[in-house]
Amino acid sequence: MDNGKDSRPDRIRGESMADACEIDAVLAHASVPLVPEGAVSRLMARIAEEPQVAKVMLFRPREEAPRRSLLRFATALPLAASLALGIYLGSKGTLDFMLPTAITGVAISEDSLDDLGGVGEADDYASESLL
Amino acid sequence: MTRDATAFQQMTDAGLLEAAAAGSHAAFTEIVTRHFQPVYRLVWRMTGGAADAEDVAQDAFVTLWKNPSQLREGAALRGWLMRVAANAVIDGSRRPRPAALDDASEVADPQMMPDAPLDRTQAARLVDSRIAALPERQRLALSLVYFEGLSNIEAAAAMEVSVDALESLLARARRSLKESLSAEWRDLVGGLTETGQ
Repeated sequence: MDNGKDSRPDRIRGESMADACEIDAVLAHASVPLVPEGAVSRLMARIAEEPQVAKVMLFRPREEAPRRSLLRFATALPLAASLALGIYLGSKGTLDFMLPTAITGVAISEDSLDDLGGVGEADDYASESLL
Repeated sequence: MTRDATAFQQMTDAGLLEAAAAGSHAAFTEIVTRHFQPVYRLVWRMTGGAADAEDVAQDAFVTLWKNPSQLREGAALRGWLMRVAANAVIDGSRRPRPAALDDASEVADPQMMPDAPLDRTQAARLVDSRIAALPERQRLALSLVYFEGLSNIEAAAAMEVSVDALESLLARARRSLKESLSAEWRDLVGGLTETGQ
């Protein structure tokens, strides 16, 4: 009736031990239904025909990814070398010929810088008009 | 018995549930072997011994099989199955049908034969019929605690009520039983003493 598990001390809270014993005695008269023969087989046959609607597996945390420190250095090394080479060559001026003339200023004369609007030619026009 | 079956017998409910979720019929067979009997007994009492008690108990297991992952804690498997089965009984489409036991109680009712002593069969039918006449939730609480041996905490969890509420249901069930069996109470209590049970 109680499957070998005595829960009496738990359930009799609020009633006397005598009352609890009486209840136990009366309920002991109740029928104990037996599982119909073949019930488990019938259930398993039904289970065999029923597809599982959701096969959701328990979540397992992913294993920790391997440390990437070596890979990170492998990437950073050529970048650092490229930066150092650029600074070195830039300071030597070896590759200045490859730079745009607008930056180096080699092809830009001071005249053109001073008279970008053509005002310097005004005298010429003035003298021609006087003549 | 296969080696797999032996291995499953040694697994916990949580392990079996995980294997069943992966589609293992053998694991689910072990779950059924462990828990079908108490679930069936509960449904039988809740339905008052109705003929479809087996179907209702089966439905609880089929519900579990279809989606084992809906049960988060394998340790609470039995309580979960009982709750699903009890809800199915309480559900409107499956109202308890205590007619069979009511009929039996008429046969066993000692008020019809005041001087006749109760024999064992009559006593069983009488007590069964009075239990079947209890309100559903009182009957469920009584069945879980007295007949299936769940602790108050386990039964409260299965019924999704507080422990205080469960104890209140139990107290009312005991009081109702004592009132409905008042005429035969002494015989039922004394009868056990005489038979040494």
